[in-house]
Amino acid sequence: MLTLDDVSVAFNAGTANEIRALQQVSLSVDDGEFVTVIGANGAGKSSLFNVIAGTAPVDSGRIVLDHADITWWPEYRRSQMIGRVFQDPAMGTCPGLTIRENLSLAAIHGRGAGLRQGVKKDQDAWFVERLAHEHLGLEYRLDSDVGMLSGGQRQAITLVMATLIKPRLLLLDEHTAALDPHAAGQIISLTRELAESHELTVIMITHSMQQACMLGDRIIMMHQGRIEFDIAGEERRKLRPADLVERFHALEDDAEIGERDRPGPARI
Amino acid sequence: MGTVNASGQGPLRHGRDASLHFAHRLVILALVAGLFMSLGNVTIAAVGQGLGFALAGVTVFLTFRVLGFVDLTVDGAFPMGGAICAVLIFVGISPEVAMLAAFLLGMAAGLATALVDIIFKIEGLLASIIVVTAAWTVNLHIMRGQSNIPLLGKETILSRHSGDFRAWVVDQYGAEFRRHSTNLLEIILFGILVCIVLVILYWFMRSETGLAIRATGENPQMVRATGINHQVMIVIGLMVANGLAGLAGSLVVQQFGFADVRLGLGLIVRGLAAVMIGEVLLRPRGIGQMLVAAVAGMLVFDISRAWVFSALDLPPTDIQLVSALVVLVALGLPRLQDRWQVYRKRRRARTE
Ligand SMILES: Nc1ncnc2c1ncn2[C@@H]1O[C@H](COP(=O)(O)OP(=O)(O)OP(=O)(O)O)[C@@H](O)[C@H]1O
Ligand SMILES: [Mg+2]
Repeated sequence: MLTLDDVSVAFNAGTANEIRALQQVSLSVDDGEFVTVIGANGAGKSSLFNVIAGTAPVDSGRIVLDHADITWWPEYRRSQMIGRVFQDPAMGTCPGLTIRENLSLAAIHGRGAGLRQGVKKDQDAWFVERLAHEHLGLEYRLDSDVGMLSGGQRQAITLVMATLIKPRLLLLDEHTAALDPHAAGQIISLTRELAESHELTVIMITHSMQQACMLGDRIIMMHQGRIEFDIAGEERRKLRPADLVERFHALEDDAEIGERDRPGPARI
Repeated sequence: MGTVNASGQGPLRHGRDASLHFAHRLVILALVAGLFMSLGNVTIAAVGQGLGFALAGVTVFLTFRVLGFVDLTVDGAFPMGGAICAVLIFVGISPEVAMLAAFLLGMAAGLATALVDIIFKIEGLLASIIVVTAAWTVNLHIMRGQSNIPLLGKETILSRHSGDFRAWVVDQYGAEFRRHSTNLLEIILFGILVCIVLVILYWFMRSETGLAIRATGENPQMVRATGINHQVMIVIGLMVANGLAGLAGSLVVQQFGFADVRLGLGLIVRGLAAVMIGEVLLRPRGIGQMLVAAVAGMLVFDISRAWVFSALDLPPTDIQLVSALVVLVALGLPRLQDRWQVYRKRRRARTE
């Protein structure tokens, strides 16, 4: 279980262009839950992932994962429990290493790197099987440098890497944004399959209302560093993408009217 | 996986072609070097010297290329290895132990740079300059305040075998080969040693840790995301790399027959030259080929510098200038060629 307690993050604090990326965010995600996060550009979605994964430190608040207070754990230590696909395709893989070598690194996950052979022959079948599930043909290219792959293909590899060893929490930051519609559809259904078969706890950021409605047990809408809606249960089941779009626009319009009067946090 | 995909270009095919190229280039290079060697003592001496310095080229390859860390520590670690080796040999300790000590001390220098970088968040270039500056004094202390320690008449790995070897060479090939025997012995002993180190290093760079070190140089964020402490990888990488510099220092000291605090002067240029010459001439692909290319690059550098020297009949004072020029030519030519090609394309486009 993941719990965030009053977590705040500000950039350029105390200056004229202070940006409150997260403002006292509290959130609790149960084991096996699939949460989708939506919100405008700059709403603080990626920042939320950054504090959970330890890429950025919090200014205040507490983060607890499976009863361990991980607020001040270094990123690499949290990564032993958390799988993540970054928004930026360049972040999750190593371009100069082959697909096989990238996956081999992911297979070390949580064990710590030792002096065993980095690439183990007997892992090939495992890698091929995992890659084949994505239907992108990447299983034939184990020896290709990842640097030669497209952004979408790299995201697909990163998804395999993040789920190779079952993570206690999986963070997906617009992981299909760089894929064409067909491939995106396949990766989304794979994501659902993975989540169900491995009973993963997932938080997924997306800009697609269809995806949000299709996948989440629970939908969170973020706005200017805050969680504005948290829709679950009965209400969630009745929700259509059109309703979600409506609520999204209502929120953004309100903000625009409000901003004429007060100098709110900078928006992008 | 022997699978060839629909377009007929399987991943393995590609890899095999590239390594074939590498092997071809290596053979051609060796033949040219052999030709030069048959022409006289200049090249034979240069090859021996190149093998002595070769591991320092590997140091630069590991830091600059693999770790992506602009590390000048080699300028301090190399004379440090030389200093400790000379002092230990001078007091009568066996050369093997002295070389091991040189390796360990080089590692310590690498550790120092890594810690300065990690603890104080000072970037690699500056961190290593600080360590090299400090190393100067440390080296003088190791050498007990002397700037030069002669090893005349002491037992080194070379002197141990030189008598027997000379007798054997004269016996086999005749008296006219007598003057080559010292250099040939260097080539054989150092060649074996460098090969052993390369094999161990190749194995290490393919281990989990080696893989993580390579990934750290390219994308530390990804390394952290796979649950590996990237800072530990920087520490290990710098320690191994500079340990090799220390070892190279111990080889060169035994070769020269003395240790000197100024031994590291200009080494970074030489190492960079080795790496880049190796890359330009051999186009290595994969970690094993790259390691070999760094060593080959050092040999080519030393041979060509020796030839420039003897052809122009220059005094020893000009050595650094010639080094810099050789590097400039090696690095500059491919870039000039690129610019020339762009220029030609542009002109063709204009005339059409
Ligand atoms: N390193 C940083 N330095 C300064 N400001 C930052 C930094 N990272 C994020 N921000 C700011 O924090 C706010 C939230 O950014 P965040 O990346 O979380 O948005 P997001 O919701 O993920 O947006 P998108 O949908 O475009 O990915 C933005 O206003 C952004 O400019
Ligand atoms: Mg984002």
